[in-house]
Amino acid sequence: MSLNPLLPFLMAGDPSLEVLPGYLSEARALGIEALELGLPHSDPIADGPVLQAAAHRAIARGATPRRILESLAGITASPDLILFTYLNPLLQLGLEPLLRLLEPTPVRALLVVDLPEGEEPAFETALRAAGYPLVPLLAPTTGLARAQRLLEARPDPGPAAPFAQRFAYVVARLGVTGAGQATDLGPLTARLRDLRGITARPLAVGFGLSDPVSLQTVRDLGATPIIGSALVAELTSGSLIRTSLGARLPR
Amino acid sequence: MNDAFTLPTRFGTQGLGGCYAPETLMQPLLDLEAAFRAALEDPGFQAELKGELRHFVGRPTPLTPAPRLAAKLGLKALLLKREDLTHTGAHKINNALAQAILARRMGKTEIIAETGAGQHGVAAAAACARLGLRCTVYMGVTDMARQAPNVARMRLFGATVVPVEAGQGTLKEAVNEALRAWAGRCTEAHYILGSALGPHPFPTLVRTFQTVIGEEARAQALEQTSGLPEAVIACAGGGSNGLGLLVPFLGDPLRRLAVEAGGHGPALGEHAARLDGGRMGVLHGCKTLLLQDEHGHTAETASVSAGLDYPALGPELAALVLDGQVEVRRASDDEALAAARLLCQMEGILPALESSHALALLPSLAAEGVATVLLGLSGRGDKDLSTYQSRLEI
Repeated sequence: MSLNPLLPFLMAGDPSLEVLPGYLSEARALGIEALELGLPHSDPIADGPVLQAAAHRAIARGATPRRILESLAGITASPDLILFTYLNPLLQLGLEPLLRLLEPTPVRALLVVDLPEGEEPAFETALRAAGYPLVPLLAPTTGLARAQRLLEARPDPGPAAPFAQRFAYVVARLGVTGAGQATDLGPLTARLRDLRGITARPLAVGFGLSDPVSLQTVRDLGATPIIGSALVAELTSGSLIRTSLGARLPR
Repeated sequence: MNDAFTLPTRFGTQGLGGCYAPETLMQPLLDLEAAFRAALEDPGFQAELKGELRHFVGRPTPLTPAPRLAAKLGLKALLLKREDLTHTGAHKINNALAQAILARRMGKTEIIAETGAGQHGVAAAAACARLGLRCTVYMGVTDMARQAPNVARMRLFGATVVPVEAGQGTLKEAVNEALRAWAGRCTEAHYILGSALGPHPFPTLVRTFQTVIGEEARAQALEQTSGLPEAVIACAGGGSNGLGLLVPFLGDPLRRLAVEAGGHGPALGEHAARLDGGRMGVLHGCKTLLLQDEHGHTAETASVSAGLDYPALGPELAALVLDGQVEVRRASDDEALAAARLLCQMEGILPALESSHALALLPSLAAEGVATVLLGLSGRGDKDLSTYQSRLEI
């Protein structure tokens, strides 16, 4: 299986909903297979300052969950999308309206930051049955036995399924999203080796990755690097998505 | 390795509470529950806590009859449970101290805390000084301005107070930032949540360490008067004070009331009355009644009281309300301020703005024919002097 070289994150509605289709089609044209799309939330407890600010800008500009999903309807020139969100906006939409809104979009999976396996079993089962599996998250505090259980609870649908529905999200370090200081990737090497011992599914690594060297280190370890806060910050300061993503793709 | 919770994580018939936490915090929360259970079964922990509550906090706190205020309001008897007389001046110390002892047992070297009115922050800072733990308190900038004396007290106790500028600069943002900080330092730090909210096991932990209020009050009422009162009443922000006073009275034939902040108006954003305006939602790790917009974003709130403006009612208290065990009422800013002045004039006691919301309900209870009331005076009002001075023009 060939390695997916990059999993980018964008905040829906920042800088605007209007630019989103263009971003997605450019990402697709660059060969990006899957992309995490953030649904802005008022209280993003797992996010650092960059994504907090992006979420608040997006909310202030009227990027509601419904409008975001409606703006994705019918879009085909796009990577597979993983909707990256907190639980409460989904609960307030309700399961049936959520499924109706998702149906015509390129969303293929959901990553709900504050929904551990088992807290909303009916909701999670219904989403999976409708074709929207939840991405398992493995943190530095997740022991291997727990990791194995989480991976079984949110199983790999198999090689025929797209990356977006198969990967597990490996949190590279403690704390919240954002580049912060350079991450020591030493512990990550051992961590990925341990995880490889219990699963063959694709792994993506996020939190604190930004520079091309750390991205390549993650690839060399056989995992897909996730680029979030650094990308959002560059786009905010006027960089073109083609430039920011292109610089981070392997040559 | 603890891999599953063993205590109930949900409350009431609608299953409020739960553990909606990011994965990074799941193992720390599992470990916390295990340490909590072990501590409760350990006579050594119980003895240390009891000794500290007596000799450091000053428990038991008195149950003070307030005959002049009772007569003025048309009540036969009014009893005040004096949490304002605890060391650091509010009920918050009961929980902060117990959790700090628990954290030290777990081998943690740092305490993280959030604070709204500053009372929990001061309590955590004092407990940390007492036990030799480092303390970092996250506090919204709006609250830092309106509760400046408490910021100074925390710093004197050696705590680092980190200003939180996001949003309205109040308790909700402070909890956001404390949770983020804990996710970064969970290996060495324990997070002392100050109210009965957040992901499991925090609501249960906080309630367990606060019911000393109601247990004492109930025994004192039976000993000092001819029987139990007709109504027991407490203010409710997150719910630690409300649960602490009311839970020990759950089996008794009397009215149990919690008073929310009515703020300055009935529209969303003008108050913090979660029962009328709130809908079921998830914030900060638990499912409960939450003030929010239709998109699931947390709504802004307003209250003259920094301790009552949290947008969610703690899950156990919300469950007790929905299941008919506790009544919820609201008091406005102006009513609370007037009630504070009246207690000062009639009994020589300066209440915190939070406690004043419970006091503000006494006239309507009297009008409903209630004759005897036990009221939780959750804290003292020294921290609110500048608000009283400006709003009451004294």
